[in-house]
Amino acid sequence: MKLDSRHAIWGLYLLSALLVIFSVSIILYQYVAALGSWSAVLAAMGEFRVLSALELSITSSIAATGLAILLGVPLAYLLATRDFAYKLLLETLVIDVPQTFPPIAEGIILLLMLGPSSPLGINLAYTFAALVLAKLFIAGPFIVSFVARRFRDIRRSGMSLTARSLGADPFQVFTTIYLPLSWHEIAAGSAMCWSRAMGELGGSLLFAGVIAGQTETIPTFVSVSATSFAIPALAATLLGTTASTLALLSFKRLMPKE
Amino acid sequence: MALHVRNLTAGYGGAPVLKQCSFSISDGETLVLMGPSGCGKTTLLHCLSGVLTPYSGIMSLDGRELSKLPMEARRIGLLPQDYGLFPHMSVSENVEYGLMVHGLPPSERSKVSAQMLKLVNLPGLGPRSITELSGGQRQRVGLARALAVRPGLLLLDEPLSNIDQITKDEVAHNLRRVFEKISVPKIVVTHGLFDALVLADRLAVMLDGRIVQLDTPQRVLAKPANELVRKLVRRPNAQEILRSR
Repeated sequence: MKLDSRHAIWGLYLLSALLVIFSVSIILYQYVAALGSWSAVLAAMGEFRVLSALELSITSSIAATGLAILLGVPLAYLLATRDFAYKLLLETLVIDVPQTFPPIAEGIILLLMLGPSSPLGINLAYTFAALVLAKLFIAGPFIVSFVARRFRDIRRSGMSLTARSLGADPFQVFTTIYLPLSWHEIAAGSAMCWSRAMGELGGSLLFAGVIAGQTETIPTFVSVSATSFAIPALAATLLGTTASTLALLSFKRLMPKE
Repeated sequence: MALHVRNLTAGYGGAPVLKQCSFSISDGETLVLMGPSGCGKTTLLHCLSGVLTPYSGIMSLDGRELSKLPMEARRIGLLPQDYGLFPHMSVSENVEYGLMVHGLPPSERSKVSAQMLKLVNLPGLGPRSITELSGGQRQRVGLARALAVRPGLLLLDEPLSNIDQITKDEVAHNLRRVFEKISVPKIVVTHGLFDALVLADRLAVMLDGRIVQLDTPQRVLAKPANELVRKLVRRPNAQEILRSR
């Protein structure tokens, strides 16, 4: 029997609906679970450990995002505007690999490289700096990839060549053409970076440790308390995921429509 | 002569696309490079503007060897096919861009910008956004911007290709009138005979990376160098277009 294409399109809608239901139900179920014991969850949200974990999550993610902008935008410019040997390898290592890195492996490597037995003689283990570096490694690539894509479009448009022909040197082209035309991508990349940093676990857990009030973040608090303190873990999860979702939604609203 | 090009050979890493090209242009003159796609005319523009380093040959503008200079030091005004206007800047900011990066104070910049916009018949359009302009207006803003830095040479890549057929005749003749007012030598690249006949003081017909004929449009029409050139310049109303200039 020949399938009518007008009906076949509903098959595509059905398949997409399955993925939407799967993803959204996981995100929403935390609120459903909290509804059963909302007063206990609300009380847990006011606990010192949860609040300090939230504060550390937010501040270390802001610091990691700031560092990612400072270092990632120049790297995006380099990748988008220069052709050089092993560029593909560099892009893969700096953008793609960190996003697919096994979380615990990241923590172990950072601990070996910058921990008590660091061959570099630098010990950052169990500090706020460790939190920031762990988050930067995992979340920084979002800024590089978002901004590099925009910079490539600008390069292809030929505007940078026109600017050069008018007398602008490469740095002037960067500051007067590339940067002002990429604010939205830098903002969107920062929102993604910050949200990803909020959820980073492996590096924080092993490299920064789980010291309440000093290095404990929402994800590490949840990972160590999920079995014994289910309500505070749920409260912390709600706070972390809600903050990330609101940040992403805000930036998406701010982005211009295509 | 303002620009001398001698035995210029260039390509993109492989076999040369541009082969032993030689020509000169004097101040105020408009040379139109015409030929089919892939004949090397854009490669020639890329060499002059600094996008591409030629394999060999000489490009001398007012006595300065261009290949030794970085793009920003060549004093070449470039009008790309899509005019390359900066969408985040107003019309006057676009026109003033070259002056701004050269460090001119704002008062001088706005004076020059007003002069240039008047030259291209767009007075008072300075505060407008680029997105509010028609294709012809955008082309003239691009031209005003290129002229504002007082270039030694003006390069125009297919300046009429984004203009619709209804207004093309008027836009082309307006462009010629602006050309007549400026003493800068100009090179226009096009594949259209109409554009070439309206704009050219001299016409260089390019085929397979070489200039096969370089002469006034009248002489190219009257005595094409070979059969391929004859086919390229064959157009029933060619003489009429020349008379309309």
